[in-house]
Amino acid sequence: MKRILSSVTDGKGFDVGLVVLPLAFLFVMSGLPLVYNVVMSFQEVDMFSLGSFARPFVGFRNYVDLFSQPETRPILFNTALFVVASIAGQFAIGFGLALFFWTNFPGASWLRGLFLVSWVMPGLVVGAIWNWILSGDFGVLNFLLRETGVIDGNIFWRSDPNYSLWAVIIANIWLGTSFNMILLSVGLSGIPKDLYEAAELDGANAPQRFWTITLPMMRSTIGAIIALGLIFTLQQFDLFAAITSGGPNNTSNVTQYWAWDLSFRQYDFAKGATISVIMIVFVMFASVVYVRSTRHEVRG
Amino acid sequence: MGIRRFAILGTVVLGTSLAAFAASAEDVTISVWSLDRDIQPAPNLINDFNKLNTGIKVEYRQIQFDDVVSEAMRAYSTGQAPDIIAVDNPEHALFSSRGAFLDLTDMIAKSSVVKAENYFPGPLASVTWEGKYYGIPKATNTIALYYNKDMFKAKGLDPNKPPQTWDELVEAARKLTDPAANVYGLTFSAKANEEGTFQFLPWAQMAGGSYDAINSDGAVKALDVWKKIIDEKLASPDTLTRSQWDSTGTFNSGNAAMAISGPWELDRMIKEAKFDWGVALLPVPEPGAERSSAMGDFNWAIFANTEHPAEAFKVLEYFVSQDNRMFKDFGQLPARSDISIPPTGEPLKDAALKVFVEQLKYAKPRGPHPAWPKISKAIQDAIQAALTGQMSSKDALDQAAEKIKAVQG
Repeated sequence: MKRILSSVTDGKGFDVGLVVLPLAFLFVMSGLPLVYNVVMSFQEVDMFSLGSFARPFVGFRNYVDLFSQPETRPILFNTALFVVASIAGQFAIGFGLALFFWTNFPGASWLRGLFLVSWVMPGLVVGAIWNWILSGDFGVLNFLLRETGVIDGNIFWRSDPNYSLWAVIIANIWLGTSFNMILLSVGLSGIPKDLYEAAELDGANAPQRFWTITLPMMRSTIGAIIALGLIFTLQQFDLFAAITSGGPNNTSNVTQYWAWDLSFRQYDFAKGATISVIMIVFVMFASVVYVRSTRHEVRG
Repeated sequence: MGIRRFAILGTVVLGTSLAAFAASAEDVTISVWSLDRDIQPAPNLINDFNKLNTGIKVEYRQIQFDDVVSEAMRAYSTGQAPDIIAVDNPEHALFSSRGAFLDLTDMIAKSSVVKAENYFPGPLASVTWEGKYYGIPKATNTIALYYNKDMFKAKGLDPNKPPQTWDELVEAARKLTDPAANVYGLTFSAKANEEGTFQFLPWAQMAGGSYDAINSDGAVKALDVWKKIIDEKLASPDTLTRSQWDSTGTFNSGNAAMAISGPWELDRMIKEAKFDWGVALLPVPEPGAERSSAMGDFNWAIFANTEHPAEAFKVLEYFVSQDNRMFKDFGQLPARSDISIPPTGEPLKDAALKVFVEQLKYAKPRGPHPAWPKISKAIQDAIQAALTGQMSSKDALDQAAEKIKAVQG
C-alpha cells in the first residue's frame, strides 16, 4: 500500500496518473459522444426513439441512402472548396497584415489590436452585416464595384448559384483573417533578429531573407494555424444560416450546415449523424497529416 | 414590543403555511409551452386565467421558434413533457400520428365552448389525423397580394382592378417594373426553408397540383410562371434567399410594386408605407379556377402523457373562449368562421382584413403528413433548381415527386 502511495507522489504512478486523467476527461467529454454519434449513424432514429439507446440497427443503410441522394456530391465538393478557399484567403491576407505590422511603424500595435474586432464579433452578427453588404439590389459591395467600374450589372451574391458559396467564403475570410494575423505576428516576433542581421551582412536581399529565414522559422506556427483554420472553417455555421441558408438549391450548402438541417429541420437524426461521421473521417485524416508534418520539426 | 413582534411573526408564519396547505390541497398545476412573447396571446391569456382562481394554476414557458419541435421531442421522450404545447400546424401530424398528443375528439364533442364546426376547414384539417382531433387551432394566417395603388396609377393601371389571373399578374408586373427607378414589379419569397414551400404550394394547388402530386401539369405550369417572373427580372433574384418579411420590406420602401405575404405585415406596412395600398386575393391560373392559399400559424395540443387531461382541456376551453380578443388585442386572426372581427378604425387595415378573411376560406394545410419537413425540403430544392436555371421546372418537380414518394414509403 505504502509503495503504491509513494509511487503516486514520486515515480511511475504519478506518470500514469498524468496520462490517465486527461485520457479519462477526453473519453467522457469527446470519446463517448463520438462513439454515440457513430452508433447512431448505423441505427434508425426518429424523434421518439431519441431518448433511448435500443434502436433498430440498419447496417450501412444510412450511408447508402445518403450517397444515393443527388445533392450529396455537390455538398461534399462545396465543403472542400469552402475549407480550402477560406483557409487560403485567411492565411494569405493574415500573413500579409502580420508582415506589414511587423515593420513596427508608430501605432502598429494599436492598429493590430483594432483588427481583432472582427474576431470578437459573434458569427450571427457578422452574418447579418454581410447579408446587407452582399445584398443584390442595394448591397454595399455591388455599389462599390459598380462605381469603380468593375461590373456593369448587379451581382446577386447570395442568390446566383455561381456566387453563393463565394459570398459565404468572402465573409468567412474577413472573419478569420485577424485571428491568423495575431498568431502569425506572435510567430514573427519569435524569430531572433540577429539571423536577419547576419543574412544582411552576407548580402541577402529582402525576398531571399523571407524565403530562407522567415518562412522556415515560421513552419510550426503556420502548421498550427492551418490546422486551427481547418477546425474553425469546418465549424463555421452561423454565416451559412445568416447569409444563404445553404441555398439556392444547395449551391452554398456544406456538410456542417446540412447535418444541422437534416437533424433539426427534417428530424432525420441518423442521417445527420452519418454526415458527422464522414466529417470526422476527413478531420482525422487532416490531423494525421498535420501531426506528421510537424513531427520531424520537434526532433530537429 | 418583543411579544408583539413575535405575535406578528407567528401570524405571518401561520398565514403562509395555511395558504401553502390550501394551494397544495386544491390547485392542479398545468404547464404550457408556446413561442408567444409578452405582447402575444399565450402569456396574457394565462395571466387572466390564473386570476380567475379556478383551482387550476397554469405555468408558462416561452420557447424559441426553432426549438419548439426538438424541445418537445426531448421532453416527451424523457417523460418531462408539458401538459399543453403550441406547435406549428405542418408539424402537428408528426406528433399526432405517433400518439404523442391526446385524442380530444370526445372532449370536443361534449364541450359547449369548443365546437369543430366553428373552425375554418384548413386549420381544422391540420389538427386532424385519421378522422380524430388531436388539437385545437390557436390562430391562423394566410397569404394574399399586396399592391401599391399609387404605382398602379402612375403606370396607367386601374388601382381598383388588381390582377385576377396569373397572366394579368405577369402583365402588370412587366408594366410596373422600372429598373431605372429601382422598382421591381413583384416581390415574394422562394427561400430554401419552409417559407418557400409556404408560398409555392398555393400556386400548385390552384392549378390542380398538391404536395403528393407535385409534378402534375398544373404545378409545372405554376413553377414556369415563377421562373418567368425571375428570368424577366420582374422580381429581384434575391427572392431566392430573402424571407417574406424582408421581401415585403422592399415593397414598403417603394422598391416593389406588388408583394405576396400575410396579415403579419399589416402593422409594419401601416407605419412604413408612404403610399396608398390595397390587398387582393391571390391571382388564379385562369378566370373561374379553383382558389387556394397557404395556411400558417400554430395549434394547441395536449400531450398524451399528461396527468390532468380534464384540467388541461379546461385551460384550452378558456383560450378558445377568448378567441374574439385575438385580433383586437394581439393582431392575430382566430381560426374560426363564426367570429366576425370588429373594425379597428384603421381603414387600410380593415379593408385588408376583409380580403384575408375571404382568402382564409380557401387556405389549405401543408400535409398533414408526419414527415412534412422532408416533403417540404424536396419542394424547396425543386423550386430553387428551376428558378436558378439548373433544371427545367418539369425535371425539378419530377425529382421532388420521386423524393416525396420515397418519404411516403
